[in-house]
Amino acid sequence: MKKTIFILIAAALAVLLTACAPSAPAQPEVDLTQMSSTMKYSEVYNMLTTPENYIGKQVKMAGTFAVYEGENRSYYACVIADASACCSQGIEFVLGGDAAYPEDYPAVGEYITVTGVFDSYTEGALKYCQLIEAEII
Amino acid sequence: MSGLFEKLISYMQYPFVRYALIVGVLIALCSSLLGVTLVLKRFSFIGDGLSHVAFGAMAIAAMLKLTHEMPLVLAITVLCAVLILRTGQRAKIKGDAAIAMISVGSLAIGYLLMNLFSTSGNLSGDVCSTLFGSTSILTLTQTEVWLCSVLSLAVVVIFILFYNRIFSVTFDESFARATGTRADVYNLLIAIVTAVIIVLAMNLVGSLLISALIIFPALSAMRVFKSFLSVTICSAISSVICALLGILISILAGTPVGSTIVAVNIVMFALFSILSHTVIGGKRA
Repeated sequence: MKKTIFILIAAALAVLLTACAPSAPAQPEVDLTQMSSTMKYSEVYNMLTTPENYIGKQVKMAGTFAVYEGENRSYYACVIADASACCSQGIEFVLGGDAAYPEDYPAVGEYITVTGVFDSYTEGALKYCQLIEAEII
Repeated sequence: MSGLFEKLISYMQYPFVRYALIVGVLIALCSSLLGVTLVLKRFSFIGDGLSHVAFGAMAIAAMLKLTHEMPLVLAITVLCAVLILRTGQRAKIKGDAAIAMISVGSLAIGYLLMNLFSTSGNLSGDVCSTLFGSTSILTLTQTEVWLCSVLSLAVVVIFILFYNRIFSVTFDESFARATGTRADVYNLLIAIVTAVIIVLAMNLVGSLLISALIIFPALSAMRVFKSFLSVTICSAISSVICALLGILISILAGTPVGSTIVAVNIVMFALFSILSHTVIGGKRA
């Protein structure tokens, strides 16, 4: 009887501890950091050419930080190169909160890892992709 | 090792990886079939020449802002292939000189046009991608896969249907003519099929490395086998294996696809050469 009670208490404690433990961060649905450079480049190409398949997905990517000055605003991007290092492409990201440049951003050319939710928007006649609510980790 | 296998399995979930493997195998198969004929006819370098023509044609297509560039590239490459292969014997500028002239001429004009009329912000990237393939094979659309599959199937069917005629024209054109074979027609057919393969293979290895796909499998097979049929079959098998291995290594190790496939072809050639010297050479001795 005592043994049964002990097992039940132990099981209850185990369930309680599991419930109280801090939840693990959500795994990105598209984790480009785990891919080879060839795969990473191809996947980003697919994300940019068929954005409708990736909208709303949590994306994690690593690459070089770049800033592009537009007419009305600046664009911040994470840029990756292909295996032959002749082609590069990137995804724009918008940091969550009230991030200001340059205080909250790394130096241009620095290697960064960024996560965010994939989204697209139209500017002029063209469609662009970006990671919203992004975070540099 | 199991980690690598798991990674490969996870990569196979991506449609573009499956497309690359399908198209890569088909292109490798087609190029190896015709490679034997071209090597035996002393036209090994035609792949290089025509690929440069295709590069020039792509520059024209880019200048004209064509969405689907393949029809124009295919038409220009076929035209040049016919000019090189058919008029080669009658022309004042003979064989290798004609190929060299068309090859460097197209390359220069193509690069010039791309510089003058480029619509892209990344000119060096575009040129590099066209010359070395870059990741073109991993960025194919479903339509391109279908087009490649249909054209590859057509090449294989033509080769099987006209195998005997291609065989006779390859080995002894004069004898083939004497026995009633219309050698000119079959040379034209070979020229058209060569151009189709070149245009298809530009996606796989880029225009500078296409020759490797045509000559290496044929030369590897010739180290071990002697008959036309056995060389063709061995060449096809080795080419497909090299393309598969090359694509898989490049996506796992993150190396450029085209040059990895060519590197695997070189290793295969070395293996066949060793096999030829040790096993077959030993038997003959």
